[in-house]
Amino acid sequence: MNPDPNSSGLNRRQFLDRLAKAGISITAACAAGFWFHDSKGPTLSKNDQSNLILPDFSIHALGQKMSIVRGEDRVATLRMALKSLGGIEAFIKKGDRVLLKVNAAFASPAMLSATTHPAIITEMTQLCLRAGAASVLVTDNPINDPASCFSLTGIADAARSAGARVLLPRNDLFSPMTVKDAKLIRNWPVLYKPFTDITKVIGMAPLKDHHRSGASMIMKNWYGLLGGRRNIFHQDIHNIIMELAMMVKPSLVILDATTSMMTNGPTGGSLSDLKNTNTMIVSTDQVAVDAFGASLLGKSLDELPFIGKAEAAGIGTADYHKLNPVMASI
Amino acid sequence: MIRENKNNSRRQTFLSMVILSILIVIGVGIFITQSQFNPGILQKDALLPKPDKDKPSSQLSPNASFVPLPEGIQPLTSTEMFDPRNLSDKINGKAELYLSAGFTRLISQRFRDERATDLWMEAFVYDMGNSQNAFSVFSAQRRQDAESLGLAQHAYRTPNALFLIHGRYYVEIIASNVSEQVQQPVKMMAETFIRNTPAKIAAVNETELFPKQELVKNSMVLISSDAFGYDGFDKIYTAEYEFDEHNLTAYLSHRRTPVKAKELASAYIMFLLAYGGKNIEAQLSIKGARLIEILDTYEIVFFHGSYLAGIREAATINQAKTLAIRLYHRIKEGGNESRSEQ
Repeated sequence: MNPDPNSSGLNRRQFLDRLAKAGISITAACAAGFWFHDSKGPTLSKNDQSNLILPDFSIHALGQKMSIVRGEDRVATLRMALKSLGGIEAFIKKGDRVLLKVNAAFASPAMLSATTHPAIITEMTQLCLRAGAASVLVTDNPINDPASCFSLTGIADAARSAGARVLLPRNDLFSPMTVKDAKLIRNWPVLYKPFTDITKVIGMAPLKDHHRSGASMIMKNWYGLLGGRRNIFHQDIHNIIMELAMMVKPSLVILDATTSMMTNGPTGGSLSDLKNTNTMIVSTDQVAVDAFGASLLGKSLDELPFIGKAEAAGIGTADYHKLNPVMASI
Repeated sequence: MIRENKNNSRRQTFLSMVILSILIVIGVGIFITQSQFNPGILQKDALLPKPDKDKPSSQLSPNASFVPLPEGIQPLTSTEMFDPRNLSDKINGKAELYLSAGFTRLISQRFRDERATDLWMEAFVYDMGNSQNAFSVFSAQRRQDAESLGLAQHAYRTPNALFLIHGRYYVEIIASNVSEQVQQPVKMMAETFIRNTPAKIAAVNETELFPKQELVKNSMVLISSDAFGYDGFDKIYTAEYEFDEHNLTAYLSHRRTPVKAKELASAYIMFLLAYGGKNIEAQLSIKGARLIEILDTYEIVFFHGSYLAGIREAATINQAKTLAIRLYHRIKEGGNESRSEQ
């Protein structure tokens, strides 16, 4: 049974030897694969909380209300707009814990109107506290470094001096969330924790042109709740704005169009980009507010598809006339 | 026996190829799956913007400046740098404007004026790759009521800011308030930057080809992409004209070859016709020119050599023809000499 040296065939010993080596290799490869396999995949935290949802902060008893007040003094117009809707007491009750979601996106001076003006943050904080609110929290997840943004815009000083607490975003404040029926906000990090211990949410945004979406108003302002590599959503900007509006159901929204950024938004940079449109809009319907804001920017609803999408999603009405808005001027 | 060995060898080769193919398919599958992971989850450490570490306070220790500074101006914060991947971390939705124009890098930094404690300013230096790209973002954002300045190839200032092009750089210096005090340090910073930054200045560019008559001042714009809603139109220079209180637009673009210019003109004409334009028969003294009526306005599209050109939004045929002929003659006379730096 000596092997024929000219033959390429295997003898029994060689065959068993190769079989054993192949078996060991396959077993090792499978074991390594099993060792590295992660059946859950990567998550932001040890506990997958993507099924979290933000509570509904809207005040159903009030229905859809809107007030549009013309005037140069933003504090005075804000006061009048609130008064025309029944006063701050209609929205804030004793013991409420209020969150003001401001736009602090950029580390730029308040005069450039790229961020929520400090004066109305002071005013809203004081009004809420006077109405009996237990606390007022001011937050945003800015584009630029948060500390610089809150400081250079004057928002931090304005809020603190009026008695509010400024909450700068930290990693532990974010949780992955999935918005029901959303295609984009799925298992995405959202600035969730600040919403867990509050009872009322007020959105406060300036009126701005926006190179990508056409306009930045109330609904776009919720973008500052997203974490992660959120700029990828710029590729589908109108749908992400609509989904953000699906995600947040505020108690009240305030669009400050006293000085509006008409061009070169959302950063602006020059006073030449601004126009005194002298209007303050306060409402419980964020879609209606954005629809009216569009008119101040000289844009049609067709140019801002996110408004129509939000209306189609049942978030509010783009025909703000249906709300019979209170119109006033100072 | 030899034949049997050959058969075995072929079979082994075949089986080896099958196994390798399966491994490649598995590898591609893993790659595709990996690339589709939720970026919001993978970016564990980047939920937030990177901390600046510097606070806007006069007690800050001085930082290095990325550019020599005039006397009295001190860094307030450290330098920030951005590339195409993270430009939106600085300017959010406006990043697209720069990216579509060829942006390569942004350096920004805040400074303070020692003589005015409450004044700070931020300088943005965008490296756009070439002066044509720099002109594109400069012209797209030009503020109409601004005061032109002669300190650079293109420069203007507004009450709180100064904007300029220096070679391939587009520069913005934005101050935190408005006062007489602001203008001087802002201008000094711009001049110092220009003096200390070597840049290739393009002597002549397409803007020289637009007729001067009835031209609206500071109205020239370079549109980098998707001009007039047509995705085939890139690097289109436009200029506004005012005829009898009606505004109309002239445009031109240098293409790589005359054939490309002709093809693009034809494609744009088809685009106009597809969106409701009507071809108008008219005597035009420009060879190959076409007159089209669309949305109650008139357009003329033509080409000459490697230049594509045209008129938009004319209220009357006569206005369109008059401006088209002027533009045609300018291109004919100066088109060969007026190519800008690319």
